[in-house]
Amino acid sequence: MPRRWIRQFFILFAWLGLAAAFGLWIDAVAWSMVGGLLLYVGHMLFRLYQLDRAITEGVRVPGLITVGLWPELQAKVYNLRRKSRERKRRHLRLRREVRESTGAIADAGVILNAAHEIVWFNRAAIRLLGLTEAHDVGRRLENLLRNPEFVAYLPSPREEPLIIASPVERDRMLSIQVIPYGLEQSLVIARDVTGQVQLERTRRDFVANASHELRSPLTVIGGYLDALVFEEELSRSWQGPLHEMVRQVQRMTQILRDLIELTRLESAEEPASFDFVSVIDILGRIKSEYASRKPPPDLHFDIRSDSGLLGGETEIHSVFYNLISNAVRFTPPGGRIDVVWSSSTDGAAFSVRDTGIGIAAEQIPRLTERFYRVDPGRSRGTGGTGLGLAIVKHALQRHEAHLEIESVEGEGSTFRCVFPNDRVVRRKDAV
Amino acid sequence: MDVDEFGHHISRSFNEDLEKVRNSVLAMGGLVEQQFDRAVESLANADSDLGLKVARDDYKVNRMEVAIDEECSRILATRSPAASDLRLIIAILKTITDLERVGDEAERIGEISAQLASQERPSTNYRELRNLARHVKDMLHGTLDAFARLDAASALEIVKADDIVDDEYETINRQCITFMMEDPRAISRVLDSTWIARSLERIGDHCKNICEYVVFMVHGKDIRYTKLGEVEAAISTSPRS
Repeated sequence: MPRRWIRQFFILFAWLGLAAAFGLWIDAVAWSMVGGLLLYVGHMLFRLYQLDRAITEGVRVPGLITVGLWPELQAKVYNLRRKSRERKRRHLRLRREVRESTGAIADAGVILNAAHEIVWFNRAAIRLLGLTEAHDVGRRLENLLRNPEFVAYLPSPREEPLIIASPVERDRMLSIQVIPYGLEQSLVIARDVTGQVQLERTRRDFVANASHELRSPLTVIGGYLDALVFEEELSRSWQGPLHEMVRQVQRMTQILRDLIELTRLESAEEPASFDFVSVIDILGRIKSEYASRKPPPDLHFDIRSDSGLLGGETEIHSVFYNLISNAVRFTPPGGRIDVVWSSSTDGAAFSVRDTGIGIAAEQIPRLTERFYRVDPGRSRGTGGTGLGLAIVKHALQRHEAHLEIESVEGEGSTFRCVFPNDRVVRRKDAV
Repeated sequence: MDVDEFGHHISRSFNEDLEKVRNSVLAMGGLVEQQFDRAVESLANADSDLGLKVARDDYKVNRMEVAIDEECSRILATRSPAASDLRLIIAILKTITDLERVGDEAERIGEISAQLASQERPSTNYRELRNLARHVKDMLHGTLDAFARLDAASALEIVKADDIVDDEYETINRQCITFMMEDPRAISRVLDSTWIARSLERIGDHCKNICEYVVFMVHGKDIRYTKLGEVEAAISTSPRS
């Protein structure tokens, strides 16, 4: 038992003893004891009242008696109050700092609960998303940001951010990311990417315009070169250089064609069309084209499925053709190339496996960059524009498909296009 | 009014039903806004593909209207809502009709823009139409915001803003008449652009209607065919229910 309690009991007994002694003196022990107890209870109530005030109002009432339970309790309450006041002040300061710093962030941040109702947002959200402080806490974010793409994106966010126009100003572009955390809460971050989007568009327009402008002079040069090759008056020594020039003009034309195709794929915002595409026909065409080459490469077509695809015919053709021609170019004579078309209940896959030179693991993520060369010295000699895989990637993206690359250096590579179920037509559906 | 306007029902699923149908109205609104934006974009950029796409996609708006209509009928039949809930359902039923018509006007703008894309364009590239479209776009956006926030005050602001749109429409019409008198060869093109102006003006009217339903939903007062001053006086004295 704490000492203050012992002391309190001691005071009680002393008081009762005093009352008993007083009772003996006036010859009314029982009455005196009752009176003494009443006084004691009254005193206790008074102390309780003081304590109550100390707790609720923070008033410190100095008692007459400075020993025992009550003064100590009072001091304790006072200290607790002071401490909690300090803590509160610290919290308030911290909260103000957090609020100021999040307010100073240029990106809009909105916290949502499981029902997508707004729990909190910062100042940039007012500017970028058009939320208002007076009305919007507790409202569903989709009801205020009604863009259908955003409404579809919010419940199932992908890794890459969504780019939409700001609801406040249409010219402002926002990149929106949704980060789930905690118990089904999520943080929505919107960043102003107007500048980047414009830059990207300028770059795309520039490439497209430049390619178009270069194409016509190149056609003229190519035309004259074709005529010159058959010119008999020209000395024999010019024949070699002329043929080389024709080859290079063809190569440049091909690069320009690929660049234009790539910009077209990049700038198309809509997904590819849903026309029926016969994969078997496409592969048949590619097969016969390679069969007439001299020497024909060791190509093996393994068509395990008669499924077709829904998409753009030219795009799918260029995907398959690019992958096969890459394999042919990077497989030394004697190597073998397997082309497989198969489908399952989850979708369909087109894969090209070669026994070529292979690719180092750290190079794989960069393969689809335009003009990226694994080995600049070697691959330019093998032809190709350096844009093939970039075209493949973008064309697949437009079909909601993706490219998987596996490779072991020196042993060969496998390129696999995986198409989702929505894009696959099984034989019986097609009929 | 609290944020959870419908949080006072004993039946939780009733609350959820009401909330769901209100959310789908706003989702439909989002789609209509997108259709409108695209239609205007196809006019500004002479993008006939986009214009035709808008016309093709109108069925989505119609489909949503039918779905919401059915949902409202179901709630009316099974829950027999009263007071503010009944007002909500009635307002929603009227709102989706107007939204669907906004969708139809957007479809028409898309179609005409696709036609205009292949014709000679005036040197201003239809600046007056784009201006009008910007006003109407703000109106449409503000209307749906007011609906989402049950904000009668800003709904009234939008009702007032409709006059500006009407004035602008008048001006464009006069301008078009002048153009037609100056150059009879341009008549068919100018006629087309008056159709677009007409559609934009109609969209403004539909927004105004929806705003009136918002006021009805919040205050229980029908403010159609009433002078604005009287409306404001009536609303300021009525307790929010």
